[in-house]
Amino acid sequence: MIEKEKFAGVALLLLKLRAVLVLIVLLSLFSILTPDFLTANNLSILAKHVAINAILAVGTTFVIITGGIDLSVGSIAGLAGMVAGGLLTVGVGGHAFGIWLAIPIALLVSCIVGLLNGVLVTRLGVAPFIATLGTLYIARGAALLSSGGKTFPDLAGTAATGSTGFSIIGQSFLFGLPLPVWMMLVIAAVAALVANRTPFGRHVYAIGGNERAARLAGIRVKRVTLLTYIFSSLCAGLVGLIIASQLESAHPATGESFELNAIAAVVLGGTSLMGGRGSISGSLIGAFVIGALADGLVMMGVSEFWQIVIKGAVIVLAVTADQMQAKVQARLMPVLLRSRMKVAQ
Amino acid sequence: MIISTKHLFGLVLLLMLIGCRSRDPRKLVAIIVPSQDNPYFATEAKAAAQRATELGYRVRVDTHNDDAYRQDNLIDVAIASNAAILILDNAGTDASISAVRRATKAGIACFLIDREIAARGIARAQIVSDNDQGARLVAAEFAQTMNHKGNYAELLGRESDTNAQVRTHGFHAVLDHDAGLTLVAAQSANWSQSEAFQKTETILQAHEDIEGIIAGNDTMALGAAAAVKSAGRTGIKIVGFDGSPDAIAAISRGEIQATALQPAVLISRLAMDEADRFLKTGSTGKPEIQIIPCDLVTRENAAEYSNFERTSKKTVEEPRQ
Repeated sequence: MIEKEKFAGVALLLLKLRAVLVLIVLLSLFSILTPDFLTANNLSILAKHVAINAILAVGTTFVIITGGIDLSVGSIAGLAGMVAGGLLTVGVGGHAFGIWLAIPIALLVSCIVGLLNGVLVTRLGVAPFIATLGTLYIARGAALLSSGGKTFPDLAGTAATGSTGFSIIGQSFLFGLPLPVWMMLVIAAVAALVANRTPFGRHVYAIGGNERAARLAGIRVKRVTLLTYIFSSLCAGLVGLIIASQLESAHPATGESFELNAIAAVVLGGTSLMGGRGSISGSLIGAFVIGALADGLVMMGVSEFWQIVIKGAVIVLAVTADQMQAKVQARLMPVLLRSRMKVAQ
Repeated sequence: MIISTKHLFGLVLLLMLIGCRSRDPRKLVAIIVPSQDNPYFATEAKAAAQRATELGYRVRVDTHNDDAYRQDNLIDVAIASNAAILILDNAGTDASISAVRRATKAGIACFLIDREIAARGIARAQIVSDNDQGARLVAAEFAQTMNHKGNYAELLGRESDTNAQVRTHGFHAVLDHDAGLTLVAAQSANWSQSEAFQKTETILQAHEDIEGIIAGNDTMALGAAAAVKSAGRTGIKIVGFDGSPDAIAAISRGEIQATALQPAVLISRLAMDEADRFLKTGSTGKPEIQIIPCDLVTRENAAEYSNFERTSKKTVEEPRQ
């Protein structure tokens, strides 16, 4: 009996830690196969690439824990970049804006799209998948309209017009690490704190676990859900700004299919698409798995077509593992509970 | 559980030790093109890769799918891999500048092919085909096959792509001076075959009297040809741009009348040769901007071309400067 309990505990722990295990295996594999992979320079670049997907993933994690989904984040990222790019270069009425106005306005526009998502889902009862699919198109269309499909170039600005500084967001370093990496770490830390240590975090889990019960327990379900969509779109807007800053230009197609990468990272990190279960740290690790896979395969020289297949396979495996975890957990719960009770006695 | 964690840790250390093996001594050439499922880009990548291998380099081919952010990441990875040379068909004339600048700063010799960036003095060379000259060639042939009279439609490429603008400009520089020709519809089909098919169907519905369609690339010309065929229309003259094998086959069958062939193979080889010279001597010996003329392909000479190069007659083409 003790053996069985031990095995059960190990199996469950391995399933729970699967994203970490996959990450360790991937990093080791790429380190063996490509000599340039395990260098400080490359790991810093890898972290910078991961930051984009990780910030999106952390943002959508709350939405997914409530049992919702946010498909609009890629389009919002594109729109935020276009808003900032347009304000910095063209401006309104021929008067270009500085970064201190352009950046907050771009983030505000992102939040408005998030608010629209939240209102559609909570007040009008539209299914999250459909509501955010709609705003995916609306935000993308708005991004294209803002420039007539063209790129806003030269966002680095010139000292003469006082428009410099935008490239700091995506291109500067702090203590040897790219600034986007710090943003990722701060956002993830705050989000994890909110998820685990605040009433808001508990409410998010409660809504995902059983919305009706949450409502009966006095949780303001609509307001909490609305806030998760706004947070998700705020993160997406920030990602759009980082990318526009890195490229020193804003293109309306930026961020296409980013939402799928973000969802993949969240699911890889062990968050259930059914809601109620998941973690911010998991999403962060999931984003690292996807990022390491993308960069490592490129470094190995694996063909683009195989890269797509492998990425798909990893996502399918992750969801399969998610199902297995749920099953194992259900089957082992009595065993584990009994052993814990024994310990308590 | 503690034991299994220890095992894992040991495994990782072991793998890392194995990882510290000797590396391939050949210098790396990173080739980044828009896609590998489009014959034009696949051919230019293959030609560059082949020449690089011949010259003794290690090669890696990546694709950015016209996504400037993905391109940015790929260039980062090329920097991390200590690439010596970057051969790039870029993802946006403005959006690529910062990435190419970063690569150049990291000591990679950057050679741009097919598309220019809107900055000078960053890349070692920018070798592109003469889109304006090619467009004028094709437009003149188009006017002639239409006997200089009748209504025609134009399918434009993706608006954000400079080549789309240069080509339509070149078309109109010729066609607008032809009093007998009237443009009745102009639509963007984003370089895409399926989009060109749908747009052409709609155009044929709206304008029954159309006698010609001029397309900004071959894929759209093929889409238009398919739509014309499915509508049961005959005698509509279609021309494209690029010189893709599919288009040349269609020209041989008489479904399309002409195309301007971009010498993709020649451009890739030139870029790789100049990159090699640059690494060995510190100079390419050429100006940064090099413009290579396009060839007109019609039914008469279609057999002489295959896969973006002239194969049957040897011609020595010197870049126009």
